[in-house]
Amino acid sequence: MELKKYLPSLVCGFSAGVLQVVPLVKSFSCCLVLPLAAFIALILEQKSTNNYEIISAKKAVKIGLFTGLFAALFGSLFEILITFITKQNDIIITFPELQKMVGNFPVTEEMKKEVLQLFQNVRNDILTTGFSWLYSFSLVVNDFFIDILFGVTGGLIGSQIINNRINNSKYN
Amino acid sequence: MKIRVTLFLLIALWCIGFFFEWLIPVNEKLLALLPFLHQTYSLICHQEKVKLITSNGFESLVCSRCAGIYIGLLAGSLFSIFKLPYKNPDIKVLSVCILIMLLDIAAYSVGIYHYSKLIAFITGFLLGSVAFSYFYSGLIHLFIEIKKPGWN
Repeated sequence: MELKKYLPSLVCGFSAGVLQVVPLVKSFSCCLVLPLAAFIALILEQKSTNNYEIISAKKAVKIGLFTGLFAALFGSLFEILITFITKQNDIIITFPELQKMVGNFPVTEEMKKEVLQLFQNVRNDILTTGFSWLYSFSLVVNDFFIDILFGVTGGLIGSQIINNRINNSKYN
Repeated sequence: MKIRVTLFLLIALWCIGFFFEWLIPVNEKLLALLPFLHQTYSLICHQEKVKLITSNGFESLVCSRCAGIYIGLLAGSLFSIFKLPYKNPDIKVLSVCILIMLLDIAAYSVGIYHYSKLIAFITGFLLGSVAFSYFYSGLIHLFIEIKKPGWN
């Protein structure tokens, strides 16, 4: 495997993954972080190969996909690790808020109890062992789905922006 | 046409997702999905309480700006069903939309005015509706490349 080929995606995916996890920093994260990471990965790839030709959509999707993959991999890995070490995460912190929120919904008491019980179990697992199968599973599924989707979208939009710039400089 | 309708439906589904709380009274079992969706959208939005869209006691799962971006994408995809987007959209239009959004962020951050959900939504909407044509253009180029003989 040629590592250099995946280096831009690795660097940008790692950065995006960290931005999703680190407390305080993650409060600045928004829906533009991953597409931006894929866009920067495209620019880095151009610089590393010294190839400033039009970027094919296939290549853009590939780089976006790998950026998303690396972001998901590092994001979920760090999140699970931090949860395991600190026995704290968003579920624990926002649980009282969740209780209040669920309590306000116009649904039966039985339903509210069932949902809260499910989250109470997850919360207890994390507080005692630092690990919950359900939490980790949903985290990994979410991370991979969202990060890949946004990475590929960013790759496609990014390639159009770069190609547009290349075309403009050619004709000017 | 098929691609544009599919894109519209997928983006609509995504938008329904962040207005999920409004659907819970329709079927109370949906409540069980809410924390999972909350986590899904938390990956792409800070979900600061003061910046969420609220109505009737329900809250959106993304902030006003993110909601604006996605609804802008939805509007762009709806528009594309009736009128084909440009094949190679101009970068200047996107740059202007990004600049307007950054100006809003800068203006309320330095205290020129207070954060406004409406302004955040509108600036997001502008960016989203313009970004759709770039996304669509990229997708069309991808399909053309796939259809080329020898593609693997």
